[in-house]
Amino acid sequence: MRSKKVEAYLVHTEPAKAQDNPRVLRILLLPHATQIDFGYVAPWIYKRGGWIRIAPHTHIKCHGANQKFHLLDSKNIPIAPKHHHFESVQDWMMFSLWFEALPATATHIDIIEEEFPSADDFNFYNISLQPRIPLIM
Amino acid sequence: MNLSKSALRRYKIIDQALRNKMRPYPNMQELIALCEQLLDYSPSIETLQKDIANMRLPYPDGFDAPIVYNRLKRGYAYSDLNYSISGIPLRDEDMQALAEAVEFMQAMDIGRISESFNHAIEKIQSASIEQRQRVQGILPVLQNMTLPQTRGFEHIKLFYKACREQMPVSCIHYSYKKRVFNVLMLHPFLIKEFENRWYIYAYSETHGSVRTFGLDRIFEPVFVKTTFIKTDKAQAELFLKDVYGVFPVPGAKKCTVKIHVSQLGTQYFQAFPLHSSQVIKKENSGTSVICFTLIPTIELARFILAQGGHVKIIQPKWFKQFTSHALL
Repeated sequence: MRSKKVEAYLVHTEPAKAQDNPRVLRILLLPHATQIDFGYVAPWIYKRGGWIRIAPHTHIKCHGANQKFHLLDSKNIPIAPKHHHFESVQDWMMFSLWFEALPATATHIDIIEEEFPSADDFNFYNISLQPRIPLIM
Repeated sequence: MNLSKSALRRYKIIDQALRNKMRPYPNMQELIALCEQLLDYSPSIETLQKDIANMRLPYPDGFDAPIVYNRLKRGYAYSDLNYSISGIPLRDEDMQALAEAVEFMQAMDIGRISESFNHAIEKIQSASIEQRQRVQGILPVLQNMTLPQTRGFEHIKLFYKACREQMPVSCIHYSYKKRVFNVLMLHPFLIKEFENRWYIYAYSETHGSVRTFGLDRIFEPVFVKTTFIKTDKAQAELFLKDVYGVFPVPGAKKCTVKIHVSQLGTQYFQAFPLHSSQVIKKENSGTSVICFTLIPTIELARFILAQGGHVKIIQPKWFKQFTSHALL
């Protein structure tokens, strides 16, 4: 019996605008999950760089659709109510979030931390999932 | 006993054939056929005769194997039925050599390269060497500065594989200076260690040129299935031979760097040459003019600055200015 080939892809997102913080760096479309890598640089406006966390109800969805793909796991960023407090305005953090796997037909996604976001929430809209680079698993 | 890999393989096949009780007394043709089957090539009769003669030689030149030719059966056999070359225990000399090698490798911290290598060392130690040292009260006589493991070192195995097997890598890079994250598509060809910091040399698709990246600033590297872009061999060799350190001064080409060194400094340069191209011309007073032919690097500038008044750059002038003005 021929085994089905597991396919996984990588998307390098477009270069960020200067004000993007965190920046969406990379999206990995894995068979079992969607991994999104972010880079965050502690801003000077907060004393000692402030703090970060991610809301447990953060989700992704195909742009223009309603189906939610929920947060499964995180790395280097605590899930609220826990916080990561920076120690200085020179600190930085690379973190990853894992969501439920997207359908293969998805072309653009939204990342939603809050449906009605404030300026501090990590919401991103209409992120292209092209071009896709095959991953070696 | 100095053995080539292919000879050792043949010895093992001969040993296996002589111990096979189902087909005792193999003759020369059967040994050749077995080698052909297991090695994918057919050794000559002369080669196998030499192999058998070598196996018969006493230690340390051979295995002291009791191989006899049985005229009646027209084949070879071990006169000692329990003999096998793989069953030979390590002798004291072997143990001594292994112990010294392990101690040396530990001192050089070679084990950091690979987790599996560490396990191999641990196995040897637990087998007998460490025990032998403890029993005899022998303290290690080699020590170097073993620094704590640095960030990013866990990726070294992946990049080693990428360099060896020419596999492109996608990773995230953070620039300490610019305070910016970038996603890179790298085609690595060299891993280099300098002052306990590890660097990757790679063609960066993102930058469109060969670049150097500190492993401590690289995150989440993954292999990707795209065509590997090879770096020109001559260009790659530049990074191997013609630099002291890691990061060439932007735009710098290979040139002669001439420095004036104090009397005390000269002693150290004599004892610890900075680069293979180093040429010292001593002056009557004991001071010297030292020339290097290399690509000036940030690390060379840093080194010169760290020597204070002992070292002064004579030429090139641009490097003198760079070293005095650059915020390193």
